[in-house]
Amino acid sequence: MANLKEVRNRIKSVINTQQITKAMKMVSAAKLRKAQQAIVEMRPYSNKLTEMLRNILSNMEGGAETSLGQERPIEKALLVVVTSDKGLCGAFNSNIIKAGLAVMNGKFAKAYANGNLTILCVGKKGSEYFNKRYGKKANIITKHTDLFTRLTFDNSAEIVEDMIAGFEHGIYDAVEVAYGQFKNAGVQYCISEQYLPVQKMEVEEEGDSKMRADFLFEPDKETLLKQLIPTILRTQFHKYLLDTNASEHGARMTAMDKASENAGDLLKELKINYNKARQEAITRELSEIVGGSAALEGS
Amino acid sequence: MELTVLTPEKEFFSGQVTAVKVPGTTGRFEVLENHAPIVSALTNGEVEITKANGERVRFNIARGFIEVLNNKVSVLAQVAAEAEE
Repeated sequence: MANLKEVRNRIKSVINTQQITKAMKMVSAAKLRKAQQAIVEMRPYSNKLTEMLRNILSNMEGGAETSLGQERPIEKALLVVVTSDKGLCGAFNSNIIKAGLAVMNGKFAKAYANGNLTILCVGKKGSEYFNKRYGKKANIITKHTDLFTRLTFDNSAEIVEDMIAGFEHGIYDAVEVAYGQFKNAGVQYCISEQYLPVQKMEVEEEGDSKMRADFLFEPDKETLLKQLIPTILRTQFHKYLLDTNASEHGARMTAMDKASENAGDLLKELKINYNKARQEAITRELSEIVGGSAALEGS
Repeated sequence: MELTVLTPEKEFFSGQVTAVKVPGTTGRFEVLENHAPIVSALTNGEVEITKANGERVRFNIARGFIEVLNNKVSVLAQVAAEAEE
C-alpha cells in the first residue's frame, strides 16, 4: 500500500517537472520562430545567387570547370558534424551523429582507416561524442564548437574559407556535412550532404530560350564563377547552420510536449493512487474508532 | 527601375530608383534606366543610389554582386551597412 506522504511527494515532484518541460516547450517555440525567420530571410538572397549562377552557366558553352568541382579519389576527408549545444531534444543529436557515422564508415571509410579523416564539430553535443570515442583515431577540430553562441554569416563564412582553402590545397579530397535539415516544427531530417567537391549544377533548359537574356559579364564569366561559387558555398553552409538551429528547437518542442503529456498521464495515475490511499486511511481510522468505542461499550 | 539590395541576414533595401552607382571590379559604374543586362562582381566599397524622389542614399557593401535584367536591379552583398558621414 502506498504511503500517503510518499505519494504526495511524488505528485509534487512530477508537477515540478511538468512545469519545467512546459516552460522549455514555450521557450523553444519562441526560439523556433526566430530561427525560422532567419531561414526565411536568407531565402531571397540564396535564390538570387542560384539564379545568377544559372544565368552564367547557361551563357557558357559546355560545362564549367572549376577547381572546387574537381572529383578526386578520397584519400583525405573532412566530416563536418553540426549538432546542437544542448540536449533534451529527443533523438535529434544522436540521429545527426548517426548520419555522420554512416559517412565515416561508408564513403570516408578508407580515409578513416588510414587515419586521414578530420572531423569538424559545430555544437557541443557532437563534439563531446566524437572527442570521447574517436579522439585518437581521427583528427578532431573543436575550434568552431561554440559557433551557435555567435551565429552570424561572417562567423560561419570563416569556416567555409578554411574548408575551401583545405580543398584547394589538397588537404581534403572531399567534405561532407551531417546536419539536421529543417522541414517543419514536427519533422526534421538528420542527413548528410556532400559539400565539396561542388556537385555539378544542371542547367535547366527552360522552354523558351528567347527569355534568356544576353548578359554582359564583368570581369568575365570564369572570374565571376570563381567568386560566385565560394559565395554560394558560404550561403549553403550558413543554411546548414540555420537549419540545424531551427531543427533543434523544433525537436525540443516536440520532445518537451511529449514529456509534458507523459507527466500529465503520470499525474492522473498518481492522483488516483493518492485518493485511494486517502480513502483507505479514512476507512481504517473510522473502523478503528468504531472498534475502539465498541470495545469501551463492551467493558 | 526597381532595386533590391539583399544580404544573407535581411533585405537591406527595396524600392524604385533612378540611378545606382556601384563599385565594379573593373571600376565604378552607374546603372541607369534601360541598362543592358549585366552580371558583375563588386569590390568592397560604396554604393550610391538615387531614389525616385531624388533623395540620395549611400551605403557600404562587401563581397557583392550585381545583376541587371529588364530594369530590375539586384545587388547581393555579404555585408551591407549605412555609410558613416
